[in-house]
Amino acid sequence: MATSQQAAPREASDGYRAARETVALLDRSAVGRLRINGRDALDLLDRLSTNHLRDLTPGHGLHTVLTTNKGRVVDLLFVLAGEAHLLVLTGRLTRRKVPDWIDFYTFTEDVSVEDVTDETAMLSLVGPSAGALLARLCGLNGIRACESASVTVGGVEAVIMRTDFLNLPSYDLVVPSDAAEDVLGAVIGAGAGHGIARIGEEALDLLRIEQGVPAQGRELTEDANPLEAGLIDLISFNKGCYVGQEVVARLNTYDKVQRTLVGLSWDASLEPERAADLFADGRKVGLLTSAACPARTGRRIGLGLVRKAQARAGLALAVGSPDGPAAVVHDLPFGASPS
Amino acid sequence: MTTAERQPLTISISQGAAEHVRDFAEQAGQSDANLRVGVKGGGCSGLTYVLDIVDQPNEGDKVIEGHGLKLYVDRKSYVFLAGTILEYSGGLNGKGFVFNNPNAKTTCGCGTSFSV
Repeated sequence: MATSQQAAPREASDGYRAARETVALLDRSAVGRLRINGRDALDLLDRLSTNHLRDLTPGHGLHTVLTTNKGRVVDLLFVLAGEAHLLVLTGRLTRRKVPDWIDFYTFTEDVSVEDVTDETAMLSLVGPSAGALLARLCGLNGIRACESASVTVGGVEAVIMRTDFLNLPSYDLVVPSDAAEDVLGAVIGAGAGHGIARIGEEALDLLRIEQGVPAQGRELTEDANPLEAGLIDLISFNKGCYVGQEVVARLNTYDKVQRTLVGLSWDASLEPERAADLFADGRKVGLLTSAACPARTGRRIGLGLVRKAQARAGLALAVGSPDGPAAVVHDLPFGASPS
Repeated sequence: MTTAERQPLTISISQGAAEHVRDFAEQAGQSDANLRVGVKGGGCSGLTYVLDIVDQPNEGDKVIEGHGLKLYVDRKSYVFLAGTILEYSGGLNGKGFVFNNPNAKTTCGCGTSFSV
């Protein structure tokens, strides 16, 4: 762990405060968007992932985990059923992997996958006033979590999904990429009266960590299963078989999950290596997977996958080496950081 | 369970399995029907077997004959099934139709799905 010269406590960003108190705006266009066509699309995704997708009706969506046959995480998806096709959000790093994965498992089914990431843009609104802003912007009144609506924003047709991707009220607007600037202007114009502010990547990652939300490539890798990554709510234990189901069901039934996702905090002057090992009593007990520096607290926070015996709030773990500096275990979510 | 000799580049059906297919087809009033054999994604181990009594092959199917029965196999499924012997395990504790598939590296607990 190295000492950072830039780790002095800072003011919270406008974007961070907006996400917590009003509404924050961000461009999530780098998230993969797939249009999946064909009458067997929903059935196939139901067979390949953990959540019960089969009964989704148009306008409704679900988060689900694509798993390997060993029950490891390939990707966390949001699947939205439409009248004619599915719209699927993938991770940023897995936009090309997911179509290949689906193609491998497509035999005689009527399924085709189209990557529409480049031809569309995705603007997201996060925070307690996001719903009120959308009501003003396009007359949308109260869609519930995982529901969607087709609306017009600034003269542009858009699909709005409430994905709550940070476990906060979170709406994603999918629009044609060549109309994104017009939509952005309309959102900023309407948002002025709602305290809207843009949120940057750093503040967004801080929010994610505070909320205890695992991210692709950090907590969500093929080294982790969905139970230890904190995704048990996205697993149906009675829908029947899907790829990896036997392993996931056995881990849960026999309480064989080895690790769990925890929060960690440590002195802000110390900046650990990415993916630093965590130790207790000289033994490796986990991995630090994400880190961020909240404002004013004087401590950094992070997420880690830690053996269950050591996943106890208040326990100190050594970071980087058996005699490394201490990080304290926290329950998740952390809750809002002081600003 | 009657056995058939394995032929690496095709799919075989044992005489016992073929007779059971004919029995099921007759019960369903489809005495001239034949058997679709395939694979689909899903099942605990990743891939699961498909059996269906059908009248006609689909375009592009491989057609394999055995014990008076025609097996229709789509070309992608065929890659995962080449060398398979389809058998029938009867009796009170029998498993019904059994895919003896040399491509399967692992199978799930109930034996209905596999990975390669």
